[in-house]
Amino acid sequence: MLHLARVRVLRQSLLLLRSELRQELRDLELVLTSTFFTLVVLGMFYLSFAALEKKHTLPAVPGLLWLTVAFVGSITLTRAFDREREADTLRALLVAPVERTAIYVAKAGSTLLVLLVCCALLVPGLASMFPAGQVFLDMPLETATLVVLGCLGYVAIGTLFAAGLAGGGGKNMLLAVILYPVTTPVLMFGLVTTRALLDNNPNLPSYLGQMAALDVILLGVGALLFEPVLVGAAPARTAQAARQHARERLRAAGREEPR
Amino acid sequence: MSRAREPITPVVLRSISQRFGRKVVLRGVDLELRAGSITGLVGANGAGKTTLFLILAGLLQPDGGERRFGERVVGDIDLELRARLAYVAHAPQLYPGLGARANLELYAELRRAAGLSSRPADAVLRGLGLADDALDRPVSTFSRGMAQRVALARAVAGDPELLLLDEPFTALDARGRSQLAGALVAERDRGAAILLSSHDQGTLLRVCDRLVLLDAGAIVREVERGGDDPAGFAARASDVLAAVGPDDHAAA
Repeated sequence: MLHLARVRVLRQSLLLLRSELRQELRDLELVLTSTFFTLVVLGMFYLSFAALEKKHTLPAVPGLLWLTVAFVGSITLTRAFDREREADTLRALLVAPVERTAIYVAKAGSTLLVLLVCCALLVPGLASMFPAGQVFLDMPLETATLVVLGCLGYVAIGTLFAAGLAGGGGKNMLLAVILYPVTTPVLMFGLVTTRALLDNNPNLPSYLGQMAALDVILLGVGALLFEPVLVGAAPARTAQAARQHARERLRAAGREEPR
Repeated sequence: MSRAREPITPVVLRSISQRFGRKVVLRGVDLELRAGSITGLVGANGAGKTTLFLILAGLLQPDGGERRFGERVVGDIDLELRARLAYVAHAPQLYPGLGARANLELYAELRRAAGLSSRPADAVLRGLGLADDALDRPVSTFSRGMAQRVALARAVAGDPELLLLDEPFTALDARGRSQLAGALVAERDRGAAILLSSHDQGTLLRVCDRLVLLDAGAIVREVERGGDDPAGFAARASDVLAAVGPDDHAAA
């Protein structure tokens, strides 16, 4: 039973992700907005900090990286759920026989892809503009792992809140206000780990492991809370009545109550 | 889908209440939706009709009361129930960048992934009057009436046992309303329980087996079509509809 549910979640996630990408490929709205913003930010960073010596840019590069991820992520999540709100398509999915977790995974997945496209510009950009960022190119595997883990954590929690606001008719301003505080732990983790990478810290694998653990927790929390955040949970009395009714029916049918 | 063989009708609401902040939207609503029957839900704007739809569709948890689907009292409208009900909201809820066929096929694929079947998209869309050349056009190019047909096609493609229609006639021309009414009657004859809200009083009188008047969050009147007194039903139903106000489509 559990296996079937997992297969269902996986298949529906892939179908919804494919649909998201199909719609994005029609106009490239999210990708173009986000990459353009990334390039503008990179240009501004270059004009502001390129003249600094390496020892001064070393502590700045992690901040530049994750600040840009935070801004681009905010833009992407806002616009991604604006589209749902405009067409009210999220509600249609919530009424359909679709696992709510699959909706969450697909939305987080598409946002993650957009963020990674931006990071594919951002990271080489930072490496070429600032000597301290050269490590990104020298250690591509570690850099890619760091970026993927950081962005994954960001979208894991960001998607949950963006969906909650979209479902409840919340305002974009509110998303920005909520998003930055709730994603701060992920961004801080990313910041510290990036510094460890730039410093060639031997404990880097441990830092990456902690980021992965945080991602697992955030994804779990996001998947678990996605449904209650969007449609609410049954009030305790109603849920109790439903359980009591189910027990009575099982007893009447002469079956054991499932544990 | 272990409960798939048990009918989910009649759907019975008992003492459903809902408030948003201090505003009480529903006050102890009792309602029964039977298989093979169309129930018209009428009421002025703000009476609580859409809230009632949201509660039935599982998009809103009521503050109090009981929802019973067939023999089953439910807390959350789970996937098993969602597989057997459909909701057409006031907005068509379609992906604007996708065509009509692609919108339906996405939902058909999602149903297949859950082990459920659907009717072929093309047949359902054509049945609701969508021309062949419109099937692959992006829905964003559609008129509101055409989009509404696609939304209804998506809802009926899964042969739902419970069909919830919140203002489905909005923006439809006379021909569209007639086609949609025909489709609803076909769904009823198939055995679906249908809850229909509309300000199109003529169509309500024509297709509904029962009319329920919701006023300030409470059901205040109910009239039922009797087998042997159609004129009596029309007269009583007209009384109920008069309480709501003038017909949106009276001039049409």
